[in-house]
Amino acid sequence: MPIIDLQDVSKLYGFGDATNVALDEVSLSIDDGEFVAVMGPSGCGKSTLMNIIGLLDRPTHGYYTLQDRAVARLRTTQRAKARRDTVGFVFQSFNLLPRLTVLENVALPLAYKGVGQSRRTKLARNMLERVGLHDRAFFYPNQLSGGQAQCVAIARALVNNPKIIIADEPTGNLDSASSRLVMELLSEIHKTGNTILFVTHNPELTRYATRVVYMHDGSIVHDEETKIGEVAATARKALYSIPEKTVDDDLAGVSALMKAVPHTAKEKNEPAKKKAAKKTAKAKTRRTKGTKK
Amino acid sequence: MSSASRGNLKMALNSLRTAKWRSFLTMLGIVIGIVSVVTIVGIGGGMKQQVSNQIGHFGKDLLMVRPGTVTTDVNSKRLLASTDLLFGRTPLNGLTAQDYNTVKNTPGVGPVAPLGVVSGEAKASDGKEMPGNLVIATTPDLPAALNQKMHYGSFFDDDSELSSAVIGQQVAYQLFGQSAPLGKTFTMRGQSFIVRGVLSEFNAPPLSPTGNFDNAIFISYKMAGLITGTTPQFYAILTKPQDNKQLAEVKSSLATSLKKAHGGQSDFSILDQKDSVAMSGGIIDLMTAFISAVAAISLFVGGIGIMNIMLVSVTERMHEIGIRKAVGATNRQILSQFMLESTVLSAVGGVIGVIFSIVVNLLLRVYTSLEPVISWQALAIATGVSIIVGIVFGTAPAIKAAAKDPIEALRHE
Repeated sequence: MPIIDLQDVSKLYGFGDATNVALDEVSLSIDDGEFVAVMGPSGCGKSTLMNIIGLLDRPTHGYYTLQDRAVARLRTTQRAKARRDTVGFVFQSFNLLPRLTVLENVALPLAYKGVGQSRRTKLARNMLERVGLHDRAFFYPNQLSGGQAQCVAIARALVNNPKIIIADEPTGNLDSASSRLVMELLSEIHKTGNTILFVTHNPELTRYATRVVYMHDGSIVHDEETKIGEVAATARKALYSIPEKTVDDDLAGVSALMKAVPHTAKEKNEPAKKKAAKKTAKAKTRRTKGTKK
Repeated sequence: MSSASRGNLKMALNSLRTAKWRSFLTMLGIVIGIVSVVTIVGIGGGMKQQVSNQIGHFGKDLLMVRPGTVTTDVNSKRLLASTDLLFGRTPLNGLTAQDYNTVKNTPGVGPVAPLGVVSGEAKASDGKEMPGNLVIATTPDLPAALNQKMHYGSFFDDDSELSSAVIGQQVAYQLFGQSAPLGKTFTMRGQSFIVRGVLSEFNAPPLSPTGNFDNAIFISYKMAGLITGTTPQFYAILTKPQDNKQLAEVKSSLATSLKKAHGGQSDFSILDQKDSVAMSGGIIDLMTAFISAVAAISLFVGGIGIMNIMLVSVTERMHEIGIRKAVGATNRQILSQFMLESTVLSAVGGVIGVIFSIVVNLLLRVYTSLEPVISWQALAIATGVSIIVGIVFGTAPAIKAAAKDPIEALRHE
């Protein structure tokens, strides 16, 4: 029985002509204990997917079953409680509260659960010990290095004993050494039975995952199982065939990753680039006309 | 749940501490509002007490005959109708020497002292003047009627020279520069007077310059008639019953005899001390309520200041709200956090206001003749009101914070 089960989930923003499809009828089911990496270019809907899975957001259409419970249409309060008890979030920018100490930050979810002060402190201390930062309990977030801050964030995500950890680019702001530290920590947590989803742009990090999901324009375009310790096959393609970046690429705003990753990305991209080029050309001519007049 | 709210309280205090200046300025509105309301109510209460103390000093059996009809009911329009603020026209005729005799001849009446104002400036023999002194025409019964003691010398009596005068303590110092100027002379309206006695200090009534008898020269009403060339008019006749148990009987027999003397017209009123207290207390209450209402506006403005700053704070801390929601805070928990913060803000302002009003109270007591009374009820109400202000004006910002979509809030930097 999957722990996360999405059926035809869509998320739309805006309405009328300005409708923006962030997720386009995505179906995804994740079993208990999986370690899923989600990859894809910026703006492809990865974060929206994570937010919906993490109950921060509500799908516009579709069904979502979390631990055998239909949660797509929950009311805000119920959603907040389910989020508190089943999901732990780790963000790219750590998102620690700057005015609380490390210990208070870790204890925050417990406070919202209604756990008493002394028990809260004890649990938070245990969790800090687990991530190896018990000596930093009374530091403030701005006194920590990036890697340490992310470990604190992970401790905070874990403190409620959630089944699922969702990490949205947890290593996005970290150097490679800290990234490794954080990823090692996540895989350790995975070993104790948690289900983990993480978003990454770094194909190298798919080594930690048991499954890699590729997204593009709001849809899942590829889904593969991988072995821990190996870079996923599709991601490897991207990793070892990074084309030289040209000025045109930068102008069109297309990441190099996109070209290499699934499908015949080239077909899709090339016309887009041409269009963009045409547009700028048109705009130029228009501008010159304007000045002449 | 209680542990969570205790954590919230700590967080609220924490956020106030991190923005000290802003919190202080926001509180200032509440502080000023509380100080002004508490101080004004205190001054009003103090004045009422001073008046009743003074009346207690005169004795409970003092009766006051006044010209015209006076209502003791402050809420009725008649009180306002009887005084014309714009033209100073009062529909009162003074009482005369005839009324004095009527009162004196009423059975059961003890000492009778009429009070009439004579205009005239006293000039001492060495040329010292005392502008603004009060000259009162009365009879030898005045000390008995007012329970007033002599400081030096004695009051004039029926046998003494008409030119003898009794002065208040302030006059003694200002006109003669000494505390016991017995036998000294001064002139007034071309007539020379000899100081026969000095009265001991009066219990000064607050906010009543004409009632300051320390600043007064007392002469016989007969003499007053002679130097002004008219029959003296009295603004009041003070009297007491011989037996203080017969207050009510004497009051009613006074009323009948005066009515008879006035041709059946009740164009006078007889007030006992209860009436006087009710009247002056009523006027003071009305004034206090009016000024407090003005002061309460500043409390309201302070509340708006809190709302304003809380709205800014909610916008500034949008990201924090997003984080809190992401780790599982419900809307209600966010709401209570911000409500608590605004309540703490205004409650702390209220407490500071209470402390300040106690200080202001002490300063007023030291530097003015006012004796404000701050009751614990007033302080409790002030604190309560400031807490209510915090809750009322904190609601809108807190609802705004709680209703925020978590994703939008998280995206906010």
